[in-house]
Amino acid sequence: MLLAIDDLHAGYGAIDVLRGVSLHVAAGEIVAVLGANGAGKSTLLRTISRYETRVRSGSISFDGHDLIAASVESVVRYGLSHVPEGRQLFTELSVDDNLRLGAYARDRRDIEAELRAMYERFPALAARKNATAFSLSGGEQQMLAIGRALMAKPKLLCLDEPSTGLAPLIVEQLFALIASLVADGTAVLLVEQNAFLTLKHANRAYVMENGEIALKGSAGELAEDPRVRAIYLGGSVDA
Amino acid sequence: MLQLLVAGVTVGSGYALVALGIHIILRATRIVNFAQGEFVIVGGLFALSIVQLFHVNAWVALAGATILGFGLGLIYERVILRPAARFGEISLTIATIGTIFILLYGHALVPGWGSLPQPLPAFTGEASDALNLGGLSIPYQSIWVFVLLLAALAAMYLFFEKTYYGKAIRAAANNPLGARLVGIDITGARAISVGIAIALAAFGGTIIGPITLVGGAGGVAISIKGFVGAIVGGLESPVGCVVGGLLVGTIEKLLQGQFSYGVADPLIYSLLLIGLLVRPQGLFGSRAAVRD
Amino acid sequence: MIARLRADARALPILALIVAIFGITLARNATYAQAGTYAAIYAIAAIGLSLLLGNVKQISIGQAGFFGIGAYVVGYLTSTLNWPFWPAAIVGVFAATLVGLGVGFIALRFRGHYLAMATLSFGLIVVGLFHESKLFGGASGISSIPYATIGSLSLSGYAAYWFAWAVALIAAFLTLNLLRGRTGRAFETIRNDELAADVIGVATRRYKILAFAYAGALAGLSGAIYAAYLGLIVPDAVGAALSIDILLMVVLGGQGGVSGALIGAALIGFLDISGHAYENWREVAYGVLVIIVVIAAPGGVIGLFRRTKREARAAPGLTTLPVAAAPVRPLNLDSPLVVHDVTKRFGGLTAVDAVNFTLERGSLTSLIGPNGAGKTTLFNAICGVGKLSAGNVNIAGRDVTGWQPHRIASLGVGRTFQNARLFDEMTVLENVVAGLIRSERTSFGADLLALPASRHAQRESTDRARATLARLGLESIAGMEARDLPFGERRRVELARAIAADPWMLLVDEPAAGLNARERAMLQDDLLALRERGMTLLLIEHDMKLVMAISDRVMVLKFGVKIADGDATSVRNDPAVVSAYLGTTG
Repeated sequence: MLLAIDDLHAGYGAIDVLRGVSLHVAAGEIVAVLGANGAGKSTLLRTISRYETRVRSGSISFDGHDLIAASVESVVRYGLSHVPEGRQLFTELSVDDNLRLGAYARDRRDIEAELRAMYERFPALAARKNATAFSLSGGEQQMLAIGRALMAKPKLLCLDEPSTGLAPLIVEQLFALIASLVADGTAVLLVEQNAFLTLKHANRAYVMENGEIALKGSAGELAEDPRVRAIYLGGSVDA
Repeated sequence: MLQLLVAGVTVGSGYALVALGIHIILRATRIVNFAQGEFVIVGGLFALSIVQLFHVNAWVALAGATILGFGLGLIYERVILRPAARFGEISLTIATIGTIFILLYGHALVPGWGSLPQPLPAFTGEASDALNLGGLSIPYQSIWVFVLLLAALAAMYLFFEKTYYGKAIRAAANNPLGARLVGIDITGARAISVGIAIALAAFGGTIIGPITLVGGAGGVAISIKGFVGAIVGGLESPVGCVVGGLLVGTIEKLLQGQFSYGVADPLIYSLLLIGLLVRPQGLFGSRAAVRD
Repeated sequence: MIARLRADARALPILALIVAIFGITLARNATYAQAGTYAAIYAIAAIGLSLLLGNVKQISIGQAGFFGIGAYVVGYLTSTLNWPFWPAAIVGVFAATLVGLGVGFIALRFRGHYLAMATLSFGLIVVGLFHESKLFGGASGISSIPYATIGSLSLSGYAAYWFAWAVALIAAFLTLNLLRGRTGRAFETIRNDELAADVIGVATRRYKILAFAYAGALAGLSGAIYAAYLGLIVPDAVGAALSIDILLMVVLGGQGGVSGALIGAALIGFLDISGHAYENWREVAYGVLVIIVVIAAPGGVIGLFRRTKREARAAPGLTTLPVAAAPVRPLNLDSPLVVHDVTKRFGGLTAVDAVNFTLERGSLTSLIGPNGAGKTTLFNAICGVGKLSAGNVNIAGRDVTGWQPHRIASLGVGRTFQNARLFDEMTVLENVVAGLIRSERTSFGADLLALPASRHAQRESTDRARATLARLGLESIAGMEARDLPFGERRRVELARAIAADPWMLLVDEPAAGLNARERAMLQDDLLALRERGMTLLLIEHDMKLVMAISDRVMVLKFGVKIADGDATSVRNDPAVVSAYLGTTG
């Protein structure tokens, strides 16, 4: 198992947002975490990447490393890259520099070859190589954020609501990209608000509600499950 | 008039380096270092001691003072700024003021430094040697000051714009969370930034030392004028800081030529208040960084 | 907060006793008398800065400017125009107060480091003006200023010691009164959380200006006494060094309240006796000390004596007083809220885009939508936090567009925040009492002199706050400090603070976030009970079960645009809402 989380309780300060979350991701999988606003999805990713949150109990193991004891900087060295909410790009630096810095945590001898591969994957970024990240469109920024994370050559890529604020066509491209990553051997843990589209592309999914895993199963099963809709919009199952 | 301009650009070079140092520390740590001017004084004294102890020329002293400045900056960050940062902005301001006390009064206690300003040997010839251009007298040291300012700026540009680690430090200042997520040690980046800023202060103190003397109690005034330069040019813009510093030096000399010394300084401080109120982002800045 | 002031009040008589004992013993020696007198004079200025720094969290490195104004006015009026001391001192203090008002007004635009720099340059400008002005004697200043007198007694030497300390202790006593009154409670809310203070109805801008003026007045008084005592005032005596010394006294002694300032001034006054020989060592020691204090003992000397352990005290029994009826307001409560074309842009992003709606009196309306939909921004727009880009807001028949948050709150509008912004260093009871500051009507003077009106208003607010806590079942935690509360209770205390002043409309931002199932059930009961009482409620919430169970009406926002509006069932089945929440099937 690449990532295994067991009975995780975590949150901010005095607040526990996650209340006993268990979840796993195997190599080569796309796993989605769905749920309404405030369900704890982003908190889950932050806790895996070890920033901002405080863990009360439970365990997170990644590729043989205990992440509970790890720092943010070391998580990326272990091979887990996180594209956070808001992308967190180096807006004042060029596209090229953003990508190069993505490789900060690893041996950089092959960085030029890796960069070439990245520009082939993202032709739009190649065209704007020397522009500042700030000047990119929302879709380009999202691609750059993912590209920067990929420069670390991660075994697992965590994406926090990558489709937020993007036009439908761009969202389609984004999901195609995610599918291609898995073909290249990178597993993906995807947090999304957009349930229907995500379930079309993921292998498995978890649905969170109020800091707990309310439902889990294969994407196909969950897409048919009326309880998903009820969790998002309240009311009874048959509504 | 032109003579005043020469003098203005010379002291302005010192302010430019102070302003740039304040900018670098602010960008990396969100701290305004009120003690920056004291480090200029101490840096000049480092050079003086190196000259006196090892009987070397001013160039070696410049290199030595800059390196010592870098080390002092690392200590300053680790011992004072980092611990105080946990208690918020007001505590930091007070801690930098405490640092002013330590450096201002402490340097007078060091054997060989004392409380009175002392001359530093010129970089070439005597401090009084000057180039005569049809009535306009340009001290050779002033030329060196300006050339060395440009050299320091070029070095800063190359480091921050062209090297991988320089970019990583900028990335850490630009977006600390993003930097941590790619594995950059932002604590280290902050320490190095402060080290560089203090090295710049020591560098500045050494190059203008032959003209303004080194040591003495002028550090607070240097800090404020450097800060005025940074505000006028734009605290968030390195180019703005340098231009602002040169501008403040020039304005100071022009005002001193017109009025008495006593009038010039309050007018420059008024410039700070007006600048803060009217255009807080400065001439070269684009973002309002003053409120919150 | 009250506990801190109580400790301050207890320390004051002890300090007075020390002053008296020192006065009858050591101060007979002229050197000690002189050091003691200077300590008292600087203490007066330090009290002002202590209030500014410790109670309102505003830094000033320009207090010497006000000190200089007081000193120079007294010097000029007494030595050049032959005025007696007292009227001259009154004019001096008045002038310093006026300038303080001005500086306070300017200071509203600055925070933190920038405020430090701005005040520092203010001080330097003042010194520069004195230095250059012929009227005030230029660099050599004003000399042969006569001593202050009381009747035929000339206040010099030993007499000056008693006089200066009498003034310092009276200033301390009055400041303590002020801090214990409504003014001090308002300061405390600003120190803890300025935005929350504004939203519960504290006129934060006015109080900040007041604090600068008050600190300026005390520094001016200090300067006035200084000039008459020394007989000489020169620009160098009122430079940046003095501003920094005053700051040093406050930080070393302990900022906030009065005892720390007195101790700090005395400490520095006496260390200064050590004379010129050790000056550099002494100043280096000050620098080291101040850094150690900042890092290791932020409370200063006085802080070392304060109880550090916080304990949960049970509140004393409830003294039941009839709760005052809400004052009659000429408000049109049948039209609680009209939001018309409200738009809010941040740079290129339109967070709220021409939103329109009208609330009905006594209804519970929920505002829902995905993250980043602009819900909280819309709340801010209604409450007056930040300027609108377009549109207007009408509350109870009044156009409140552009109003400050505290004015809107004073109409009877309560609000809670997404992350429960309590005043962390205040107790639960003090937090709820703060919610009533806006309904108290005592004056600055009444607070300063601790007049019965001031005390009565405070007692009444305390009783009302207790009644509110009782209503929510929170009496047992009334004495706990807010920062020690678990999150669920923080939310309930914030609700108590918002409803203490009996608002008729309440805006609640994500009240269920972070609550467990039991707490959610309690919240639901609380909200329904408020609606029963006739309150108009607007709720932002993500918990759809809660929203669907209690709302009369649901509005949905997406990317700043209202995409649905209606009852719970129709909104839930609206295709646009379904796709906003679940995405399209693609």
